[in-house]
Amino acid sequence: MNNGLKSSVPTDREVILGILNNSADTLNKLYKAHFAMVLQFILNNNGDEDDAKDVYQEAIIILYNKVKEGNFELSSKLKTYLYSVCRRIWLKKLSQNSKKTGNITDYEDVFEVEEDVEQHEEKDAAFTKMQTALEHLGEPCKTIIQDFYIHNLSMQDICEKFGYTNTDNAKTQKYKCLQRLKKIFFQHK
Amino acid sequence: MPAEVKENIFSTQIIEMRNDLELDAIIEDYLLGKLNAEETDAFEQLRRNDATVDHKVVSHKLFLDNMEEYSRQLLLKEQLNDIHAEIDVDSLVTKFAPHPSRVVQLWRKHKSAIAVAASFIVLSFVSIYSIQHSSQQADKFVQLSKNVTNAVKTQNNLIRKISSDNLPANKQINPGNFGGTGFAVSTNGYIATNLHVIKDADSVYIQNSEGESFKVKVILKDPEYDIAILKIDDKHFKNLSALPYTIKKNSTGVGENVYTWGYPKDDAVLGEGYVSSKSGFIGDTTQYQVAIPLNPGNSGGPLLDNNGNLVGIISGKETSSEGASFAIKSKYILEAMRAIPQDSLGKKLTVNKKSILAGMRRAKQIEKLQDYVFMIKVYN
Repeated sequence: MNNGLKSSVPTDREVILGILNNSADTLNKLYKAHFAMVLQFILNNNGDEDDAKDVYQEAIIILYNKVKEGNFELSSKLKTYLYSVCRRIWLKKLSQNSKKTGNITDYEDVFEVEEDVEQHEEKDAAFTKMQTALEHLGEPCKTIIQDFYIHNLSMQDICEKFGYTNTDNAKTQKYKCLQRLKKIFFQHK
Repeated sequence: MPAEVKENIFSTQIIEMRNDLELDAIIEDYLLGKLNAEETDAFEQLRRNDATVDHKVVSHKLFLDNMEEYSRQLLLKEQLNDIHAEIDVDSLVTKFAPHPSRVVQLWRKHKSAIAVAASFIVLSFVSIYSIQHSSQQADKFVQLSKNVTNAVKTQNNLIRKISSDNLPANKQINPGNFGGTGFAVSTNGYIATNLHVIKDADSVYIQNSEGESFKVKVILKDPEYDIAILKIDDKHFKNLSALPYTIKKNSTGVGENVYTWGYPKDDAVLGEGYVSSKSGFIGDTTQYQVAIPLNPGNSGGPLLDNNGNLVGIISGKETSSEGASFAIKSKYILEAMRAIPQDSLGKKLTVNKKSILAGMRRAKQIEKLQDYVFMIKVYN
């Protein structure tokens, strides 16, 4: 699959259209097209392959959300954009871990992406907040809520899955869980 | 059954609110557009007239938006993980890794050939070492607790012998022959310590800062890096809350301030200092040299930096000079954790990503830390 990487690099326009049309194939190609570049950067700047994965995925998510929101202006190559975002995120992580960030080995041109990264950090905080709230919720509430809101199961399915005698009972249970989740969610700062 | 009965002046035939749960259900249906026109009108009127209801609608909307965003990001992350799994990361790592790990890769590939060469090198090292050693004043490690001699280096591992030394060790009945320190690497009772602390043990117990003892079993022994992973096997043990520290993947620089919290006596003791060298005893690159005065019993204790990153495990000290202690680098703990057989885990061991100790004063850090550091008691 490594060999197939280079040949199937989609053009920047294809990527943007693909994301807007929810094309899984485009995302797949985009992801595979530039991972090696980021891996090389991270490995040569005090990181390992797990760091590379985390950082790269964050960058892809930033790009994806930006395109989805419709305010992505293609002022440079996507590759450069991804590289700049990864670089920014990694520098932040390094300085958080009190590592020196003096001489970073660069492999691409870089431009200013601070604003995008900061915006993403806010989003990510909201994500973590919901995740923590769900963790605190406990079972079976967590699974019921996830099945309903994330996996889009119907109340009928949930009723059967958890063995409730009728959908009304399942619904009551769901709303009890929801109330608790909301309480936890809004309490955490 | 209904917690609170709401008298609703606008209760038309459609909306009859008996309790909060039903109100929530209606709010959700309203926000998701599941009410019919008539119901929607009635509800909107109710909302205009009752500020509490309106407030609930707004907060539920906010919550649903958050949930939707969460769900979207979660699915996207899953999708990315699936794609990532298709990439042959290892071969890319081999291609791009900087010099040191290329050496490691070479080693993995040509183990046997290198082994032959290495044995010659080891042989010459041993002879050089013995020449040095016999000449005088060589650095020497002495193990305080047990008379185990390792081929090349003898280590002064910091195990504390609790009982008196006059009795022959194997005949002792009194509990807790040796002591060391260990610390939690997960909330569900996995503890890391030095292998030399628990080696040859018949049974191992740990004691927390409140004096409660728990039986533990040894899950993993890693003689290469002198690391052991224990698991609390005691029905009285309740899961710990989230770990306050993170385990650092990368190495720490010389001069970084570090501290340890361990049990050289029955009460825990703080030791502070700094990383003084990137390599340990006789240039052992799996260890740091740290300038912290340590005592027997400190072995297996956590070494943390000011930001609450766990950077190593205290393992021993040099006898010939004061203040030269050694700690095994934290990445080997991660390696040991990864090496635990999956079926003995039940649940996957995950490493905490955020340290809550960062930015705290030392006293506060210790307060948070103390519940996660244990005295290890070995019976044999």
